[in-house]
Amino acid sequence: MLLNSAKSSSEEEMNEEKVFEPKIIAFCCNWCSYAGADLAGGMRLKYAPNVLPIRLMCSGRISPHFILKAFQKGADGVLVTGCHIGDCHYMKGNFITAKRVAVLRDLLGFVGISPERLRLEWIAGSEGEKFARVANEFTEQIRKLGPSPVPDIPYNA
Amino acid sequence: MDYRTVPTTCVYCGCGCELVLKVLDGKLTGVLPSKTQPVSRGKLCIKGWTAHEFVESGKRLKKPLIKKGDELVEAGWEEALDAIASKLKSIKDESGADSIAVLCSAKATNEENYLLQKWSRAVVGTNNVDHCARL
Amino acid sequence: MDALRSKVEELLKSGEIAGFLGMRIVHEHPYPYLFTDKESVLLSTLTIGDVRYPLAKVILDIARKYRDAKLGIMVRGCDESALFELYKNYQLDPEKVIALGVTCPAEQVEKCRCPRPNPTNIIVGEKREVKADRSNLAMIEAMGEKEKYQYWMGQLGKCMKCYGCRNICPVCFCEVCTLEHEDLVRRGEIPPEVPNFHLVRAFHMAGRCVDCGLCEEACPASIPLRTLYQKVREIVKTHFDYLPGEDRESVPPFQLLGDGSFEISEK
Repeated sequence: MLLNSAKSSSEEEMNEEKVFEPKIIAFCCNWCSYAGADLAGGMRLKYAPNVLPIRLMCSGRISPHFILKAFQKGADGVLVTGCHIGDCHYMKGNFITAKRVAVLRDLLGFVGISPERLRLEWIAGSEGEKFARVANEFTEQIRKLGPSPVPDIPYNA
Repeated sequence: MDYRTVPTTCVYCGCGCELVLKVLDGKLTGVLPSKTQPVSRGKLCIKGWTAHEFVESGKRLKKPLIKKGDELVEAGWEEALDAIASKLKSIKDESGADSIAVLCSAKATNEENYLLQKWSRAVVGTNNVDHCARL
Repeated sequence: MDALRSKVEELLKSGEIAGFLGMRIVHEHPYPYLFTDKESVLLSTLTIGDVRYPLAKVILDIARKYRDAKLGIMVRGCDESALFELYKNYQLDPEKVIALGVTCPAEQVEKCRCPRPNPTNIIVGEKREVKADRSNLAMIEAMGEKEKYQYWMGQLGKCMKCYGCRNICPVCFCEVCTLEHEDLVRRGEIPPEVPNFHLVRAFHMAGRCVDCGLCEEACPASIPLRTLYQKVREIVKTHFDYLPGEDRESVPPFQLLGDGSFEISEK
């Protein structure tokens, strides 16, 4: 009994040094990037389970509110994906996404939240492999960066 | 077209910040903080910024309402005042003057609040008078 | 000042404008006031005032009700920059506004350090020059990431959600504000969601903020808002080569849906 309990306590110790699992929110546009993500699933590609997709009709729908709210609620990283430039289903939605993300990255950097936590990728409906690759890369990148500083604030409920 | 700005004191807390009311054709449209007043110096709290809203609010009563049965029915001033006086008198006779309490309001002027507490003490005979800002 | 007074009288008497928005002294304090033809006597109190009220915001009130009336307005450099942005956002009709420029006294210019102290049509005052001062931004940029974060959380944590910065901002014109939306900003918390609330406001200032500094003057908690919005101005200038309020013609980047001028890299 004693031996068993000693073994389980050391196992517990090992488990307590858990690897940091980042929480990543991926905003995907319905027509290209969500289809790409779907294809990644269809092709049975393994990618990090840390990435949680949220589907919107167009990447241009992504208000900076959503991105900032994701960070506020504890996301360690935000991935914004959309159709390639020139291929937007609604013609020009992704242009405004690019502008917004460019400004938001610099703004986050100024406030002390690493701009690398926000990433913009253009993923077409046929690029399932790209989605899986980006998801894995981004997860590792955020893992290295560490948890987001935002939830550490005592003010946030 | 008549647009004027009217400086006045905020009705809420005891700080006494000055508000500059924006009045367009006799209707309040908004508020600006007074930049030259030594207390507020151009800053206001949320209550000051929205202090003008209750004046033009659609929720304000336009006529006295008396509860008849389950409904609130519009009544004239004489009827309403008679109802209040008789009810208060009967409560005072039954349970004594101290069973009546009076609550004043920050949205009324200081003079009105003074009158109300004087009336409660002298006429009704109760000391149970308070103000929402504990004045 | 007499030059301004006579010009205003001329405009009013000829019927070209229905009213002139300026300042007048009441009990020794300056307040905004709309001078109309009927009160030509009061025109003698038309004054610049050494404190700034957002006249561009006040004229919005009037213009929203009287859409066809032509109005005159006394503008400092910052007021005119705000007017330019309002024109570009279709909130005011430039055909219906006559702006008479005044320049601030030299001490005010030194204190304010606005990017554009000279209005286009100066009636009173001399042309002012101001040296740009980036020291507040440089101080923050010199900090490490963690330090920056601690600094901003400390500053933004002082916020008491009075909405003063938004209420007094001359280019904030939305009738329904997202900062009051329940789903986007939780209710009942002081300070409001840190840093979400302020970063959202800062983002909304992208392409709009004219760096007038009224927000920082109106903040009861003395949060360095102007610094934050100045950084946003710099970011927009870097990426899109656009500075709000500089002139009447250039198009704000967020109004253009798709254009080839912005380099979008396929990362």
